[in-house]
Amino acid sequence: MLMKSREYWNPWMETLNRERLLEIEFRNFRKYMRYAKGHSPLYRKKLDGIEPEDIQTREDLRRLPLTDKEDLRLAQEGDGESLYGDLLGVDLTEVSDYRQTSGTTGKPVYVPESYESWQWRVEVWCHILWMAGFRETDRVFVPFGYNVYVAFWEGHYAAEKLGCEVVPGGALDTRGRINKMMEIGATATLNTPTYGLHMAETAKKMGVDPKEIGIRRMQCAGEPLPQATRRLLENIWGAEVYDHIGGTEPCAWAAMCGQRQGLHILEPFFLVEILDLEDQSREVKEGELGMAVVTPLGRHSFPLIRFNTQDVVKKGKEGCPCGRTSLMISEVTGRADHLRKIRGVLFTPVSVEEILREEFPEINEYEITVAKKGLMDEISLKLEPHEKLGPTASAGLANRIGERLKMKTNLRFNIEFADPGELPRYTLKSQRFKDLRGE
Amino acid sequence: MDGDDVTGLKKMKEKIDEIELLACELRDLGGGVPVVEKNTQSILSFTHVLKFGISDLIDM
Repeated sequence: MLMKSREYWNPWMETLNRERLLEIEFRNFRKYMRYAKGHSPLYRKKLDGIEPEDIQTREDLRRLPLTDKEDLRLAQEGDGESLYGDLLGVDLTEVSDYRQTSGTTGKPVYVPESYESWQWRVEVWCHILWMAGFRETDRVFVPFGYNVYVAFWEGHYAAEKLGCEVVPGGALDTRGRINKMMEIGATATLNTPTYGLHMAETAKKMGVDPKEIGIRRMQCAGEPLPQATRRLLENIWGAEVYDHIGGTEPCAWAAMCGQRQGLHILEPFFLVEILDLEDQSREVKEGELGMAVVTPLGRHSFPLIRFNTQDVVKKGKEGCPCGRTSLMISEVTGRADHLRKIRGVLFTPVSVEEILREEFPEINEYEITVAKKGLMDEISLKLEPHEKLGPTASAGLANRIGERLKMKTNLRFNIEFADPGELPRYTLKSQRFKDLRGE
Repeated sequence: MDGDDVTGLKKMKEKIDEIELLACELRDLGGGVPVVEKNTQSILSFTHVLKFGISDLIDM
């Protein structure tokens, strides 16, 4: 009997057998598709000629076109009269929340949410935080001014709904935030991995061991979190550190449980397909890398069907020792739009981060630059150690790092060293990778 | 999920439907007065979430 279980946010749904879970997903998908066709100008056009009843199997899903960010940007233009153009799925008077994408890859996409759809997003985040062990006894510090970016707002309202005490930490510098966390006895945080490292570095400069601040759990957002960086954060903070994956458009769609081995797809909130990287024409097998295509099934104000997230993930098993039956993502490799071909070799910046964080604790920050030298691509890595190194130590370290990177990426890096504190620090999305070949 | 769970879920689904119905009736009685209309709208937003998490399990 699951009735009294507080281990799960929704014990019935989270432990439901796969067959029933998929039945619910498909029924909700058809219902959602019908809604989108009836209320969203974008999908009225995009899904013309295909009816919800035509979608009975996962293969049938591939009859529907993918939606990518550029589709959303174009639809947003619409007839030019409304801010949201052809994206909006409810009457404009029902919109209660405005959020937007960061605009890293072009013009931002504006994301309107009705109060109902916003509560659906908050509910998704309740699952995420509950899985990560956030409880009523936690005092959650959010060390950001959230501005128009969605994840920390979702986390804020979800933590509040869970019954946590939420402390917004905007309008303070990093030292001010460290002091505030100690002053109020914060037990949990929501932050980007980069900022988690930066706060720890700042605390040490203040003479404070981050472990003594008392943070027991940290939910990361906003950036990829390789296992090595996650473990590093756990060691520095003496806290459990949790990852999730998502985006402004679809919402967060997979997250870590207490096992901290891969991410649970948040079924049946989302119907997620993991499709081959070549042309997205087939679902990949367990252990294979693929592109995540996500349909959020309960949001009406911003209908989104088969959104191509560009997230490259490794498909995992069904189920987990935690008892949840959802499909797992065993690894997040990065984003397809971050994959680069350098001298004919496919390269993702996450591979550098993994090696540096796992094997070279003397390195604090780094920056990768790719540029053309004549006809050749050249990849450079600037390393910032915790403490300034002499010429012999630098040369030895550069040699060892270069060898490891060559083995992992099949690329030879030009390595140079920066002084401690020289490289930029980031609070939201870091920009440690620069491809200058198009400039 | 055992029989007790199913019985409990069925009862919860009935209550969610009742809350939705009552909230709609209350909203109509309010005749557009903001204090009633906006608060009942919030209740309906939460029933949407509950239907997604609870009623869906029984509707199959």
